[in-house]
Amino acid sequence: MRLRWGMILLVFVGLPALLFGLSAGFYALAALAEGLFTGGAGVVNVFTLLLVMVMVFSALLTLAERKWSAAMQDRIGPNRANLGPLRLGGLFHFVADALKMLFKEDFTPAGADKWLFRLAPALAFIPVFCLFAVVPVAPPVELFGETVSLQIANPDFGVLYVFAFASLAVFGTALAGWASNNKLALLGGVRATSQMISYEVALGLSLVGAIAAFSALTPAGGSSLRLEQMVESQSTWLWGGGGGFDFGVPAWGILLQPLGFVLFFAAAFAETKRAPFDMPEGESEIVGYFVEYSGMRFGLFMISEFVEIVVLSGVIASVFFGGYHLPFGEAWLQGHLGDFWFAALQGSVFWLKVIVLAWLQLAIRWTFPRFRYDQVQKLGWRILLPAGLFNVFATAALVLLDPSLRLLALFGLAQIALLVYLVGSGGKPAPAAPDERPVAVSDHDGVSA
Amino acid sequence: MPDDTKPRQPPEPQPRSVPPRPRVKLTIDDREVEVDAGTNLLEAARAIGVQIPHYCYHPRLSITASCRMCLVEASNSPKPVPACQMPATECLVVQTRSALVKEAQRATLEFLLLNHPVDCAVCDQAGECKLQDYYQEHDAQPSRLAGPKIQKEKRRVLGPLVTLDQERCILCTRCVRFMCEVAGEPQLGVFGRGSHEAIDTFPDKPLDSNYAGNTVDLCPVGALTNSDFRFTARAFFLTATPSVCTGCARGCSVWLDHFNGETYRYRPRENVAVNGPWMCDVGRLSYKPLVHDRALEVKIGRAGEGRTAEGREAARFAIEKLKPLAGSERLAFVASPTASVEDLLATFRLASEGLKLKRVFVSGRAADKGDRLLLREDRNPNRLGLDWVAQAFGLKVEPFERLVEEIDAERVKGVLAVGEDVPTDPKLVASLLLNLDPVIVLATNLGPVAGMGHVLLPSCPCSEDDGTFVNFEGHAQRFVAAYRTRGQSRPHWTWAATLLEELGVEVGWRSARDVFAELAPRVAQLAGFDWASAPGYLTHPRGLRTLPAAADARHGIHRERS
Amino acid sequence: MPYKVSNEKLTLREQAYLPEMIRGLGVTARHFLRNLFTRRDPAPEILDREGPCQITTVQYPEEKVEYPPGYRGLHRLVPREDGSPRCVACYMCATVCPAQCIYIEAGEYPADDPSAPNRVIERYPTKFVIDELRCIVCGFCVEACPKDAIRMDTGLHAVSSEERRAFMLEREALLRGPAVEHPSDPWRKREDSSAPEHGEKEAHRRISPRKNGG
Repeated sequence: MRLRWGMILLVFVGLPALLFGLSAGFYALAALAEGLFTGGAGVVNVFTLLLVMVMVFSALLTLAERKWSAAMQDRIGPNRANLGPLRLGGLFHFVADALKMLFKEDFTPAGADKWLFRLAPALAFIPVFCLFAVVPVAPPVELFGETVSLQIANPDFGVLYVFAFASLAVFGTALAGWASNNKLALLGGVRATSQMISYEVALGLSLVGAIAAFSALTPAGGSSLRLEQMVESQSTWLWGGGGGFDFGVPAWGILLQPLGFVLFFAAAFAETKRAPFDMPEGESEIVGYFVEYSGMRFGLFMISEFVEIVVLSGVIASVFFGGYHLPFGEAWLQGHLGDFWFAALQGSVFWLKVIVLAWLQLAIRWTFPRFRYDQVQKLGWRILLPAGLFNVFATAALVLLDPSLRLLALFGLAQIALLVYLVGSGGKPAPAAPDERPVAVSDHDGVSA
Repeated sequence: MPDDTKPRQPPEPQPRSVPPRPRVKLTIDDREVEVDAGTNLLEAARAIGVQIPHYCYHPRLSITASCRMCLVEASNSPKPVPACQMPATECLVVQTRSALVKEAQRATLEFLLLNHPVDCAVCDQAGECKLQDYYQEHDAQPSRLAGPKIQKEKRRVLGPLVTLDQERCILCTRCVRFMCEVAGEPQLGVFGRGSHEAIDTFPDKPLDSNYAGNTVDLCPVGALTNSDFRFTARAFFLTATPSVCTGCARGCSVWLDHFNGETYRYRPRENVAVNGPWMCDVGRLSYKPLVHDRALEVKIGRAGEGRTAEGREAARFAIEKLKPLAGSERLAFVASPTASVEDLLATFRLASEGLKLKRVFVSGRAADKGDRLLLREDRNPNRLGLDWVAQAFGLKVEPFERLVEEIDAERVKGVLAVGEDVPTDPKLVASLLLNLDPVIVLATNLGPVAGMGHVLLPSCPCSEDDGTFVNFEGHAQRFVAAYRTRGQSRPHWTWAATLLEELGVEVGWRSARDVFAELAPRVAQLAGFDWASAPGYLTHPRGLRTLPAAADARHGIHRERS
Repeated sequence: MPYKVSNEKLTLREQAYLPEMIRGLGVTARHFLRNLFTRRDPAPEILDREGPCQITTVQYPEEKVEYPPGYRGLHRLVPREDGSPRCVACYMCATVCPAQCIYIEAGEYPADDPSAPNRVIERYPTKFVIDELRCIVCGFCVEACPKDAIRMDTGLHAVSSEERRAFMLEREALLRGPAVEHPSDPWRKREDSSAPEHGEKEAHRRISPRKNGG
């Protein structure tokens, strides 16, 4: 087996190291700014987290979508864009894409409502972008005499903020479809609106269970809607923990709320309007609500989709995967590294979780066929909603029965075990055994590999 | 042979003095046929549409039965007999497709092809070669020859027009017999013996007869090739259009073989009344003016100082110059008998009714040596037609010498010339025209005379428009446009119409047919000639068109009409 | 690969959708990881990949798939040993060409010029032009050629230029590649087009089975 050692080093060493360094740098910048004036850390975080991390992540995701899908389909993917001799496996394709978008003609169709037509991309982009403001990237730490954290805002109503802004994004989509003066675009806009409305309910309901569960771990006076509080709650141990190198079962949302995770993931995925929920775009039938857009206005729609992936990954990581927490050895590491370096490590852990979840979303897109429109609605109303209700009642009952959440965790583990059993008991043989190479028979010369 | 699709007729009846021969009935391939006694079996079979393959037989030549390709089974012979030599007799039963005959044909062909070099890729005859045709039809098996083939001379230049490849020759001796019997100049012979026999000329006596070109047409294989046509085009690309040779007053019927808007060769077209199946080498090469040195641009101003112009503008300019001289003796109307009847009708109308002229000076090519067979001393194809048309329009026909005299005496000031051919030295005529103004020339080819025109209107020759020639015996013959007019050239009658319109006379001619329909009734001699009722092969068929057979009775081949 | 479509009813487990989804994800994940972390086999025989990496893409300008023997590339006029074209301007290729992209003008080597390349076949192409833009690469010209004079074995394709004129390949541009001679070529049998000296004896020798038993 000929391994790509460069790629392995890049993924397992280079990437964590880079994220570690960036987190440390961001902390330092925030602390310096906070020293200059109160609230400076928040301003710096807007730049570092939103404009640097989220935007660069999103831009790279446009390339990643193409390269990763290529790898999933046994292709190479784009690898030709270069800066002179520097190719880096096609890394510069996202630069080329951006330049192309910027220099394309910005066309407004005749009969379009010009004001709304121009407003729509901004309305689609801004709420998604703002969502990240409440996501805690790394914990508060004392540096240069200031207590700073890598989180832009930490309101009590964190989860509600997420719901509110996630729903706002549909305005951009609906307005784009309406203002284009194009019946296909309008169809796309209408589809987007109805899809949003359907999944808004399931989205909210799916998190109620998690909120209820974490409320049991929230100290008195705290708000279990606060995202940072949720992350902190997940650092508690259900079983085990303590000792030299602490190890045990943490109170992660995925263990407490596996059903809630699935429901939230499905509903949030539908909100991103990506395949298999890409009814509003519907490339093969109606092209979508942005059919009339070109240049960077279309680019805004596209990039907002990828920003949504990053934000969604951040929210999921915070609610279900312990946010910036490691599932083991935290106290040990903190003792050895010191507060600041440990916080930087936690920041890189958060971003790694975001990357894995973003990959998962792309993999889902490139694995599953699209839903039919009636199936989308059926899934939202007849499966996600009842399941969400059941989850709320079951969680509430179990939290009441056992405030230490161990009963809830057992219930969750039982759900996971059932799923693992169901996955493992697939009746048909696996589609392709790992060592089975594709057989190509050429009738030209009768040679088969 | 005019048309291959119809069953062949027996050869021409003998002269009237011989009493008609008795008729005999015989059976060929289970079909009864009645022919004159003595008709050979090959012609008898042809009468009912049965084709018997043959190389050496030609209806116009003596019979040698040397190729053995026409072997058939006849009830009066135990062995296969050559159909070309066997006369039809009463109650004879002939089989032309029996197994024995087929084997005889196959074996004959294999033998003929034994030493054939099979260089069809190089051979000019490919596409109209009887060896190719019969091989496909009757042999179609690979050569069984193990050793080397006999090598003979590949390129023997027999004379100015004929090149011989002795290897391809099957020794049918058609060419030898033609030179003896028809041309009357026995310049070819068979030399050597056995498999080394070859056609050749006698020592130091080239094949320079004026009828040598016919041997190329007669040759059923690619042995004799036309040095002029050699390697210029493949036969299967050419399209044949019925036309008339313009080389002399005989007006031999010809096939004009053309491709892509260019004429490549003339081949004789059988016309019993005029030329039989032959034509002379002078006429054979007379296609060259159709291709070379053509006047293709309308010019205003004399050569050297002229400019190109639109036809309408040039016509207006010409009429402005001609109008002051209209009706006066000082304007000479010169017409060439190389123009067709239609062209002359239109231009004579212009002269007589448009310009009110009373005389026509006849130019045309100078007379040259004729011979006893076909070639006439008068080298103009339509002199009789010109006389007829002049008579119809009441124009007095004057010889060219008279024009020269009048120009010398300065009684003529301007000239309107139809055709640029002159019977004397063209440079001399050009120097005479130098002092005249205006000189309007309708010319097909460039030259000193055409260059003298203050207005040069380019005309197209017989290859590019329909028309009629009247030969010296009074036979009116139609020719057919082979391809579109080249450059700015237009038929004479079109220019006549344009000039008439500039004079204020409206003419509705849209084709030579219109010209003929309107003006020919004035010509009493053409009363019996129906322009449109020319033989079937003179009309343009749509879609696939057969290349009609040439003088050697070759099959036509199919190709799309270009 | 054709397979039978079965419209069997889904089991309850399959109707649950989620387990099957995760299994599907497993397939894509497996391909992804294998292709991401193992090295691509750059061998251009894309049907026969080695190793766990399953990427079959051929990086075209750098890697090239070997063409099959019958591949039809750019035309060439095959030269003889002496460098003159084998072509005798028979027009077969021009006749058969469905795109009518071949233009030929035939000429004759002068009979009395001993320096003419070959006087056994007196016919040769003075002009031989192929309009490669009109050519549809059907290979009929190669099939039709009776002299093995035109071939498409150069392996060249996708010849590019910025002007149309450059695609009108003249005789000089077409006459390339290794020379080809066959034992049956006429110029191997005789000196020139005149009758050979002892042709009779040679011809008679073939009758004797003892000397020439072929």
